[in-house]
Amino acid sequence: MSALAQQWGESLRFAAPAQGPQWLNELRLRATNQLTAHGLPQRKDEDWKYTPLRILEKLNPAIAGNSGGVVADDGSDTGVRFENLTPALLDSPDYLINIYDGVLVGCEGPDRPGVTIVPLSEGLQRYEPLLRKHIESVDISGSAQAFAALNTASLDHGLVIHIREQADAGTILLRWALSGKAGPAIHNFRVFLLLGEGARMQLVEQFESADHSGSALNVVAHVELGTNAVLDHLRLQNESENTVLMSSTRIEQAQDSRYSYAGFDLGGGLVRHELKTVFVGSGAHAVFLGAFVLDNARHVDNHITVDHASPACSSDQFFRGVLGGRSRGVFNGKALIRPGADGSSVRQSSANLLLSPLAQIDTKPELEIYADEVEASHGATVGRLDESAIFYLRSRGLSETEAKRLLVGAFCRAVTDRLENQALAGRISELIDRAMPSFVERSKRVDA
Amino acid sequence: MMLEIKNLHVTVGGKAILKGLNLTVEAGQVHAMMGPNGAGKSTLGNVIAGREGYEVTRGEVLFKGKNLLELEPEERACEGIFMAFQYPVEIPGVNNTYFLRAALNAQRKYRGEPELDSMQFLKLVREKLKILHISDDLLHRAVNEGFSGGEKKRNEIFQMAVLEPRLAILDETDSGLDIDALRLVAKGVNRLRSDDRAMIVITHYQRLLDHIVPDKVHVLADGKIVASGGPDLALKLEEQGYTWLEQGGIQSLEVEQRV
Repeated sequence: MSALAQQWGESLRFAAPAQGPQWLNELRLRATNQLTAHGLPQRKDEDWKYTPLRILEKLNPAIAGNSGGVVADDGSDTGVRFENLTPALLDSPDYLINIYDGVLVGCEGPDRPGVTIVPLSEGLQRYEPLLRKHIESVDISGSAQAFAALNTASLDHGLVIHIREQADAGTILLRWALSGKAGPAIHNFRVFLLLGEGARMQLVEQFESADHSGSALNVVAHVELGTNAVLDHLRLQNESENTVLMSSTRIEQAQDSRYSYAGFDLGGGLVRHELKTVFVGSGAHAVFLGAFVLDNARHVDNHITVDHASPACSSDQFFRGVLGGRSRGVFNGKALIRPGADGSSVRQSSANLLLSPLAQIDTKPELEIYADEVEASHGATVGRLDESAIFYLRSRGLSETEAKRLLVGAFCRAVTDRLENQALAGRISELIDRAMPSFVERSKRVDA
Repeated sequence: MMLEIKNLHVTVGGKAILKGLNLTVEAGQVHAMMGPNGAGKSTLGNVIAGREGYEVTRGEVLFKGKNLLELEPEERACEGIFMAFQYPVEIPGVNNTYFLRAALNAQRKYRGEPELDSMQFLKLVREKLKILHISDDLLHRAVNEGFSGGEKKRNEIFQMAVLEPRLAILDETDSGLDIDALRLVAKGVNRLRSDDRAMIVITHYQRLLDHIVPDKVHVLADGKIVASGGPDLALKLEEQGYTWLEQGGIQSLEVEQRV
């Protein structure tokens, strides 16, 4: 397993040094050393117990070529292909950003006062102390943090979105795609979403590559929400079965800020989303919605951590999983309520449907409460489609497949119904419906 | 002939439930199927509707001359079979109107008829609601979710009105209903009686038959029809109880009623 980490470490050491300030060069080196010293996550790492990295090992990706810190800002000759993919979830976003093979290749949008969208290289010049604080806050020690270490070690390409206090960036569509044309590679990318006091933004991310990609993407994102800031964050992942996606999002929420996440995983080979929010101010609110609909041998892992470090904050984790084929899902939802965080409210719900005898779900809601006066509820269920409901629908004329689709659709609608943008919810529901037929298998009839 | 059942033997989980049942139902007729608990009444309904877990070991079921037993449940529905469930299933998240339109269009497609768009469907639904005196709030709710017992049964009759089956099986539609709800449901059923539609009303009690007057009454006991007759047979049973039947009371029936 650590052979891959050694291989990466070697290519990082021999690569042309990326540009940037001295402190960053030192940090990259430290991260490389961490990566090679500890290797990749293993089963004994509690946080990785249910997510083996076999698919990544099999892919055996090399570190994507280092372009020496030069970021292309026009997509002219990069060969970007976004055709034949799911249409954009937003018809006319205020900003459209394309990241292709881990490189920011395009950003279209108006010049809006208070809204700055720049590549990392430029961001480092403008906001160095702020970015440095975030970059240095990332834990890169130990095998469980290997992907953070890798991302830091190869830190070069990135995107900085900065929204000044009280400014509204409107809607931003961020499309990610991998070409796989240079052989299997792992691309590293860093994102910063920095919202000042009262700032707002709606971000929609779409991860989808051409079918043949066979690549990996490792994204680390930093989100900072000032007092009263509002970030609406939707993520749709529709990757091919030979794609590996590792995403880690760290959110820092000041007083009365709101973070709403909704993640939909309808594809991918090996996918893991880590989301961690810290309430640094009181009265903040975070909601994490998620649905995954998987078939074949896909693996999707959602790891959510909410750190109630301040009083009177509320968090809500609500996930629905549908698993067919030999797919595997993981939900690990943790809420930590620190001493003194009185008036906290925590809700966790994870419900899952297994549609095949070989599908598997590991669901683990965790609550750690060290404060008084806390309102907490959590629940996790795993079940199958209700046979009597299927028969009821069939007895009215619907085929078995239609009946199952209707039931699975209804199950997932518990998530999409909670989206504020109902037009978007409708589109996601359609995609969920389209993701279904391959696993709505016929069950064996026992009667004549 | 609408429905012909010949020498039907059915086992459930290896246990023989129906043991040579014969029944003939003509278009336009309403047949009541009575009998004690465990006689096989609901099994008969489930076998006709096509539920899994019921193994036909002998005999045949012909619907409009077709072998019903080789059809999937949805094909039977499309051919015109409808079962009003004893325990209608709650299906959270599936809107009643959406489901019913999908079902009706699946049936229309099967029969080569054009599908209805939502406007046409809504018009049809409003007509049916009016005929049945049902308020339209059930259209906006999830299928049977949170419905009272009476609402569930009314929803079954409403579905039947929209799907317009040729043969409807009402499986203990009276169970769990108070007398007012029973009257409402019976009234709905009576409005759906027609010359080209047959019904089999499965019931444990005679009281439903005060409101839905059958053309024929059958008594099912131990997997067979042991007596058939007119509505007066139901009254006789109500008077004497099923134990009377089991203790040889059948011998006192006129010969034409014994089977």
